[in-house]
Amino acid sequence: MTRGIEHDLMRLLHNELPADEARTLRARVFREPELQELYARLERTWQGLSLPPAAPVPAGFTGRVMARARSQASGSLSWSAAPRWVRATAAAALVAGAALGLGVGRTWPAAGGGEAGSESVTFLSATAENSLADSYWSLVEDTAAADAETEAQP
Amino acid sequence: MTTDSAAAAVDPGWEALARVAAGDAEAFASLVDSHQERLLRLCERLLGDAEEARDAAQDVFLKAYRKAAAVRPQGQVYTWLYRIAVNHCLNKLRRRKLVRFLRWEDTEERDAPAFEPPDEAADPAAALEARRRWRVTRRALARLPENQRSVVVLVRFEGLSYKQVAEVLDITEGAVESRLFRAMRRLEAAQEAAGSRVSQGEAEP
Repeated sequence: MTRGIEHDLMRLLHNELPADEARTLRARVFREPELQELYARLERTWQGLSLPPAAPVPAGFTGRVMARARSQASGSLSWSAAPRWVRATAAAALVAGAALGLGVGRTWPAAGGGEAGSESVTFLSATAENSLADSYWSLVEDTAAADAETEAQP
Repeated sequence: MTTDSAAAAVDPGWEALARVAAGDAEAFASLVDSHQERLLRLCERLLGDAEEARDAAQDVFLKAYRKAAAVRPQGQVYTWLYRIAVNHCLNKLRRRKLVRFLRWEDTEERDAPAFEPPDEAADPAAALEARRRWRVTRRALARLPENQRSVVVLVRFEGLSYKQVAEVLDITEGAVESRLFRAMRRLEAAQEAAGSRVSQGEAEP
Protein backbone atom coordinates (compact mmCIF):
# COMPACT_ATOMS: atom_id res chain seq x y z
CA MET A 1 0.00 0.00 0.00
CA THR A 2 1.53 3.33 -1.00
CA ARG A 3 1.73 6.30 1.30
CA GLY A 4 0.01 8.34 -1.43
CA ILE A 5 -3.21 6.39 -1.27
CA GLU A 6 -3.27 6.64 2.52
CA HIS A 7 -2.94 10.40 2.26
CA ASP A 8 -5.77 10.45 -0.26
CA LEU A 9 -7.96 8.37 2.03
CA MET A 10 -7.29 10.75 4.88
CA ARG A 11 -8.19 13.71 2.66
CA LEU A 12 -11.35 11.88 1.66
CA LEU A 13 -12.22 11.38 5.31
CA HIS A 14 -11.66 15.08 5.99
CA ASN A 15 -13.66 16.21 2.94
CA GLU A 16 -10.56 17.74 1.43
CA LEU A 17 -10.67 16.07 -1.98
CA PRO A 18 -12.26 17.77 -4.98
CA ALA A 19 -15.70 16.29 -5.73
CA ASP A 20 -14.68 14.28 -8.81
CA GLU A 21 -11.58 12.81 -7.12
CA ALA A 22 -13.65 11.98 -4.06
CA ARG A 23 -16.21 10.17 -6.21
CA THR A 24 -13.53 8.11 -7.96
CA LEU A 25 -11.81 7.21 -4.72
CA ARG A 26 -15.09 6.25 -3.02
CA ALA A 27 -15.78 3.88 -5.90
CA ARG A 28 -12.32 2.33 -5.46
CA VAL A 29 -12.83 1.96 -1.72
CA PHE A 30 -16.14 0.24 -2.40
CA ARG A 31 -14.47 -2.22 -4.83
CA GLU A 32 -11.17 -2.96 -3.05
CA PRO A 33 -11.33 -4.66 0.36
CA GLU A 34 -7.80 -3.60 1.23
CA LEU A 35 -8.70 0.07 0.77
CA GLN A 36 -11.95 -0.50 2.60
CA GLU A 37 -10.07 -1.79 5.60
CA LEU A 38 -7.59 1.07 5.51
CA TYR A 39 -10.34 3.67 5.25
CA ALA A 40 -12.29 2.03 8.08
CA ARG A 41 -9.18 2.20 10.28
CA LEU A 42 -8.65 5.89 9.58
CA GLU A 43 -12.31 6.60 10.19
CA ARG A 44 -12.30 4.68 13.47
CA THR A 45 -9.28 6.61 14.70
CA TRP A 46 -10.72 9.97 13.68
CA GLN A 47 -14.21 9.37 15.04
CA GLY A 48 -12.71 7.88 18.19
CA LEU A 49 -11.27 11.28 19.09
CA SER A 50 -13.71 12.77 21.50
CA LEU A 51 -13.53 15.52 24.09
CA PRO A 52 -16.17 16.83 26.47
CA PRO A 53 -17.78 20.16 25.69
CA ALA A 54 -15.49 23.03 26.65
CA ALA A 55 -16.00 24.69 30.01
CA PRO A 56 -18.46 27.58 29.86
CA VAL A 57 -17.11 31.11 29.53
CA PRO A 58 -16.50 32.28 33.09
CA ALA A 59 -18.70 35.12 34.28
CA GLY A 60 -17.00 38.50 34.05
CA PHE A 61 -14.36 37.32 31.58
CA THR A 62 -14.67 40.41 29.36
CA GLY A 63 -14.47 42.67 32.41
CA ARG A 64 -11.27 41.03 33.59
CA VAL A 65 -9.65 41.35 30.16
CA MET A 66 -10.70 45.00 29.99
CA ALA A 67 -9.28 45.68 33.44
CA ARG A 68 -5.94 44.16 32.48
CA ALA A 69 -5.91 46.12 29.23
CA ARG A 70 -6.61 49.34 31.12
CA SER A 71 -3.83 48.66 33.61
CA GLN A 72 -1.43 48.04 30.72
CA ALA A 73 -2.54 51.17 28.93
CA SER A 74 -2.09 53.29 32.05
CA GLY A 75 1.61 52.46 31.84
CA SER A 76 2.09 50.85 35.21
CA LEU A 77 5.71 50.18 36.00
CA SER A 78 6.48 46.57 35.13
CA TRP A 79 9.11 44.56 33.38
CA SER A 80 6.88 44.13 30.37
CA ALA A 81 6.79 47.91 29.97
CA ALA A 82 10.56 48.27 30.07
CA PRO A 83 12.42 48.88 26.80
CA ARG A 84 13.35 45.73 24.95
CA TRP A 85 17.11 46.20 25.41
CA VAL A 86 16.69 46.61 29.17
CA ARG A 87 14.62 43.44 29.32
CA ALA A 88 17.07 41.58 27.11
CA THR A 89 20.07 42.60 29.22
CA ALA A 90 18.31 41.77 32.48
CA ALA A 91 17.06 38.47 31.08
CA ALA A 92 20.56 37.53 29.88
CA ALA A 93 21.91 38.26 33.35
CA LEU A 94 19.16 36.16 34.88
CA VAL A 95 19.83 33.24 32.55
CA ALA A 96 23.58 33.42 33.16
CA GLY A 97 23.01 33.53 36.91
CA ALA A 98 20.49 30.73 36.84
CA ALA A 99 22.71 28.56 34.65
CA LEU A 100 25.61 29.12 37.00
CA GLY A 101 23.47 28.42 40.05
CA LEU A 102 21.91 25.38 38.48
CA GLY A 103 25.28 24.04 37.41
CA VAL A 104 26.67 24.48 40.89
CA GLY A 105 23.52 22.99 42.39
CA ARG A 106 23.65 19.93 40.17
CA THR A 107 27.35 19.24 40.54
CA TRP A 108 27.86 20.42 44.09
CA PRO A 109 25.07 19.19 46.39
CA ALA A 110 24.68 21.01 49.69
CA ALA A 111 26.48 19.62 52.67
CA GLY A 112 24.49 17.13 54.73
CA GLY A 113 22.80 15.52 51.75
CA GLY A 114 20.58 18.51 50.93
CA GLU A 115 19.43 18.89 47.35
CA ALA A 116 20.71 22.29 46.39
CA GLY A 117 19.92 21.69 42.73
CA SER A 118 16.28 20.98 43.27
CA GLU A 119 15.96 24.04 45.52
CA SER A 120 17.33 26.27 42.83
CA VAL A 121 14.96 24.92 40.16
CA THR A 122 12.00 25.17 42.51
CA PHE A 123 12.92 28.81 42.97
CA LEU A 124 13.13 29.24 39.23
CA SER A 125 9.79 27.66 38.50
CA ALA A 126 7.98 29.50 41.25
CA THR A 127 8.61 32.99 39.95
CA ALA A 128 5.74 35.43 40.25
CA GLU A 129 3.74 37.04 37.48
CA ASN A 130 5.52 39.92 35.76
CA SER A 131 8.80 38.87 37.24
CA LEU A 132 12.07 39.12 35.39
CA ALA A 133 11.77 35.46 34.37
CA ASP A 134 8.31 36.10 32.94
CA SER A 135 9.68 39.07 31.13
CA TYR A 136 12.38 36.89 29.63
CA TRP A 137 9.81 34.39 28.40
CA SER A 138 7.62 37.14 26.99
CA LEU A 139 10.62 38.49 25.13
CA VAL A 140 11.42 35.07 23.67
CA GLU A 141 7.78 34.51 22.71
CA ASP A 142 7.34 37.99 21.26
CA THR A 143 10.45 37.67 19.15
CA ALA A 144 9.47 34.24 17.83
CA ALA A 145 5.86 35.11 17.13
CA ALA A 146 6.19 38.71 15.92
CA ASP A 147 6.65 37.94 12.25
CA ALA A 148 4.13 35.15 12.17
CA GLU A 149 1.40 37.20 13.79
CA THR A 150 1.71 40.59 12.21
CA GLU A 151 3.63 40.40 8.96
CA ALA A 152 2.68 37.02 7.52
CA GLN A 153 -1.02 37.68 7.54
CA PRO A 154 -3.31 34.97 6.17
CA MET B 1 -15.83 25.05 5.05
CA THR B 2 -13.22 26.74 2.89
CA THR B 3 -12.72 30.44 3.48
CA ASP B 4 -14.16 32.56 0.73
CA SER B 5 -11.42 35.04 -0.09
CA ALA B 6 -13.83 37.69 -1.34
CA ALA B 7 -15.76 37.59 1.91
CA ALA B 8 -12.53 37.47 3.85
CA ALA B 9 -11.36 40.76 2.36
CA VAL B 10 -14.33 42.60 3.85
CA ASP B 11 -14.46 41.00 7.27
CA PRO B 12 -16.02 43.83 9.31
CA GLY B 13 -13.96 42.63 12.26
CA TRP B 14 -10.98 44.55 10.87
CA GLU B 15 -12.84 47.83 11.19
CA ALA B 16 -13.55 47.01 14.80
CA LEU B 17 -9.89 46.18 15.26
CA ALA B 18 -8.90 49.55 13.78
CA ARG B 19 -11.14 51.19 16.38
CA VAL B 20 -9.42 49.09 19.08
CA ALA B 21 -6.08 50.38 17.82
CA ALA B 22 -7.43 53.92 18.12
CA GLY B 23 -8.22 53.28 21.79
CA ASP B 24 -11.96 52.54 21.53
CA ALA B 25 -12.64 50.50 24.68
CA GLU B 26 -16.13 49.57 23.56
CA ALA B 27 -14.78 48.08 20.33
CA PHE B 28 -12.29 46.03 22.32
CA ALA B 29 -15.01 44.78 24.69
CA SER B 30 -17.07 43.80 21.68
CA LEU B 31 -14.10 41.96 20.13
CA VAL B 32 -13.60 40.03 23.37
CA ASP B 33 -17.31 39.25 23.60
CA SER B 34 -17.49 37.92 20.06
CA HIS B 35 -14.41 35.72 20.18
CA GLN B 36 -14.05 34.65 23.81
CA GLU B 37 -16.00 31.42 23.49
CA ARG B 38 -14.02 29.98 20.58
CA LEU B 39 -10.66 31.21 21.93
CA LEU B 40 -11.30 29.76 25.38
CA ARG B 41 -12.30 26.48 23.77
CA LEU B 42 -9.23 26.43 21.54
CA CYS B 43 -6.89 27.18 24.46
CA GLU B 44 -8.55 24.49 26.55
CA ARG B 45 -8.18 21.92 23.75
CA LEU B 46 -4.52 22.79 23.28
CA LEU B 47 -3.53 23.05 26.92
CA GLY B 48 -5.85 20.38 28.29
CA ASP B 49 -6.64 22.50 31.31
CA ALA B 50 -9.65 24.80 31.63
CA GLU B 51 -8.09 26.94 34.35
CA GLU B 52 -4.90 27.55 32.40
CA ALA B 53 -6.95 28.17 29.27
CA ARG B 54 -8.71 31.11 30.95
CA ASP B 55 -5.42 32.82 31.69
CA ALA B 56 -4.12 32.01 28.23
CA ALA B 57 -7.22 33.40 26.51
CA GLN B 58 -6.89 36.63 28.52
CA ASP B 59 -3.25 36.89 27.46
CA VAL B 60 -4.26 36.31 23.83
CA PHE B 61 -6.74 39.18 23.90
CA LEU B 62 -4.16 41.45 25.51
CA LYS B 63 -1.64 40.54 22.84
CA ALA B 64 -4.26 41.29 20.18
CA TYR B 65 -4.90 44.62 21.89
CA ARG B 66 -1.20 45.50 21.77
CA LYS B 67 -0.79 44.35 18.18
CA ALA B 68 -4.01 45.87 16.82
CA ALA B 69 -2.25 48.94 15.46
CA ALA B 70 0.39 46.95 13.58
CA VAL B 71 -1.81 44.32 11.95
CA ARG B 72 -2.49 44.39 8.20
CA PRO B 73 -6.13 43.49 7.50
CA GLN B 74 -6.14 40.31 5.49
CA GLY B 75 -8.33 37.24 5.77
CA GLN B 76 -10.55 36.80 8.78
CA VAL B 77 -9.98 38.39 12.17
CA TYR B 78 -10.59 35.08 13.93
CA THR B 79 -7.79 33.46 11.89
CA TRP B 80 -5.41 36.11 13.18
CA LEU B 81 -6.65 35.61 16.74
CA TYR B 82 -6.33 31.84 16.35
CA ARG B 83 -2.72 32.31 15.25
CA ILE B 84 -1.92 34.37 18.34
CA ALA B 85 -3.70 31.78 20.50
CA VAL B 86 -1.92 28.77 18.97
CA ASN B 87 1.50 30.43 19.28
CA HIS B 88 0.76 31.46 22.84
CA CYS B 89 -0.44 28.00 23.89
CA LEU B 90 2.47 26.23 22.19
CA ASN B 91 4.85 28.54 24.04
CA LYS B 92 3.09 27.69 27.29
CA LEU B 93 3.45 23.98 26.53
CA ARG B 94 7.16 24.41 25.82
CA ARG B 95 7.59 26.35 29.04
CA ARG B 96 5.71 23.63 30.91
CA LYS B 97 8.04 21.02 29.43
CA LEU B 98 11.12 23.01 30.44
CA VAL B 99 9.88 23.50 34.00
CA ARG B 100 9.21 19.76 34.19
CA PHE B 101 12.75 19.10 32.97
CA LEU B 102 14.20 21.48 35.55
CA ARG B 103 12.21 19.73 38.26
CA TRP B 104 13.37 16.31 37.01
CA GLU B 105 9.79 15.19 36.50
CA ASP B 106 9.42 12.18 34.27
CA THR B 107 5.73 12.31 33.46
CA GLU B 108 5.02 13.12 29.85
CA GLU B 109 1.65 14.64 30.55
CA ARG B 110 0.11 16.61 33.31
CA ASP B 111 -2.91 15.24 35.05
CA ALA B 112 -4.73 18.52 34.90
CA PRO B 113 -8.19 18.75 36.42
CA ALA B 114 -9.99 18.84 33.10
CA PHE B 115 -13.52 20.15 32.92
CA GLU B 116 -16.12 17.44 32.62
CA PRO B 117 -19.80 18.25 32.30
CA PRO B 118 -22.14 16.93 35.00
CA ASP B 119 -23.55 13.46 34.43
CA GLU B 120 -26.97 13.84 32.86
CA ALA B 121 -26.97 10.87 30.51
CA ALA B 122 -29.86 8.50 30.77
CA ASP B 123 -27.61 5.54 30.03
CA PRO B 124 -24.86 5.19 32.66
CA ALA B 125 -22.90 2.73 30.52
CA ALA B 126 -22.85 5.17 27.60
CA ALA B 127 -21.78 7.99 29.93
CA LEU B 128 -18.99 5.85 31.29
CA GLU B 129 -17.81 4.96 27.80
CA ALA B 130 -17.90 8.63 26.76
CA ARG B 131 -15.74 9.57 29.71
CA ARG B 132 -13.31 6.78 28.91
CA ARG B 133 -12.99 8.09 25.35
CA TRP B 134 -12.39 11.63 26.62
CA ARG B 135 -9.59 10.38 28.84
CA VAL B 136 -8.01 8.37 26.03
CA THR B 137 -8.25 11.35 23.67
CA ARG B 138 -6.78 13.78 26.21
CA ARG B 139 -3.93 11.44 26.91
CA ALA B 140 -3.27 10.77 23.22
CA LEU B 141 -3.35 14.50 22.40
CA ALA B 142 -1.01 15.29 25.28
CA ARG B 143 1.53 12.85 23.88
CA LEU B 144 1.51 14.30 20.37
CA PRO B 145 4.30 16.66 19.39
CA GLU B 146 3.02 20.22 19.72
CA ASN B 147 2.89 20.93 16.00
CA GLN B 148 0.79 17.81 15.38
CA ARG B 149 -1.44 18.51 18.34
CA SER B 150 -2.34 21.97 17.07
CA VAL B 151 -3.24 20.60 13.62
CA VAL B 152 -5.44 17.84 15.05
CA VAL B 153 -7.22 20.24 17.40
CA LEU B 154 -7.85 22.77 14.65
CA VAL B 155 -9.17 20.21 12.16
CA ARG B 156 -10.99 17.77 14.43
CA PHE B 157 -12.31 19.99 17.17
CA GLU B 158 -12.45 23.44 15.58
CA GLY B 159 -13.68 22.16 12.20
CA LEU B 160 -11.15 24.15 10.17
CA SER B 161 -10.22 23.12 6.63
CA TYR B 162 -6.60 22.35 5.71
CA LYS B 163 -6.46 25.74 4.00
CA GLN B 164 -7.66 27.57 7.10
CA VAL B 165 -5.24 25.65 9.30
CA ALA B 166 -2.43 26.54 6.91
CA GLU B 167 -3.41 30.21 7.28
CA VAL B 168 -3.54 30.04 11.05
CA LEU B 169 -0.20 28.28 11.39
CA ASP B 170 1.44 30.05 8.46
CA ILE B 171 2.50 26.77 6.85
CA THR B 172 1.59 25.10 3.55
CA GLU B 173 -1.44 22.87 3.10
CA GLY B 174 0.98 20.06 2.34
CA ALA B 175 2.59 20.53 5.75
CA VAL B 176 -0.85 20.45 7.39
CA GLU B 177 -1.61 17.19 5.64
CA SER B 178 1.67 15.60 6.53
CA ARG B 179 1.45 16.61 10.21
CA LEU B 180 -2.08 15.24 10.33
CA PHE B 181 -1.00 12.00 8.74
CA ARG B 182 1.78 11.48 11.26
CA ALA B 183 -0.59 12.40 14.06
CA MET B 184 -3.15 9.85 12.82
CA ARG B 185 -0.55 7.10 13.13
CA ARG B 186 0.24 8.05 16.71
CA LEU B 187 -3.41 8.47 17.64
CA GLU B 188 -4.28 5.09 16.24
CA ALA B 189 -1.49 3.47 18.26
CA ALA B 190 -2.62 5.31 21.40
CA GLN B 191 -6.21 4.21 20.94
CA GLU B 192 -5.16 0.63 20.33
CA ALA B 193 -2.99 0.63 23.44
CA ALA B 194 -5.86 2.07 25.50
CA GLY B 195 -8.25 -0.50 24.03
CA SER B 196 -5.99 -3.38 24.90
CA ARG B 197 -5.57 -2.05 28.45
CA VAL B 198 -9.33 -1.94 28.87
CA SER B 199 -9.78 -5.43 27.42
CA GLN B 200 -7.12 -6.72 29.81
CA GLY B 201 -9.11 -5.25 32.69
CA GLU B 202 -6.53 -2.66 33.74
CA ALA B 203 -7.90 0.36 35.54
CA GLU B 204 -7.87 3.60 33.57
CA PRO B 205 -5.59 6.14 35.16
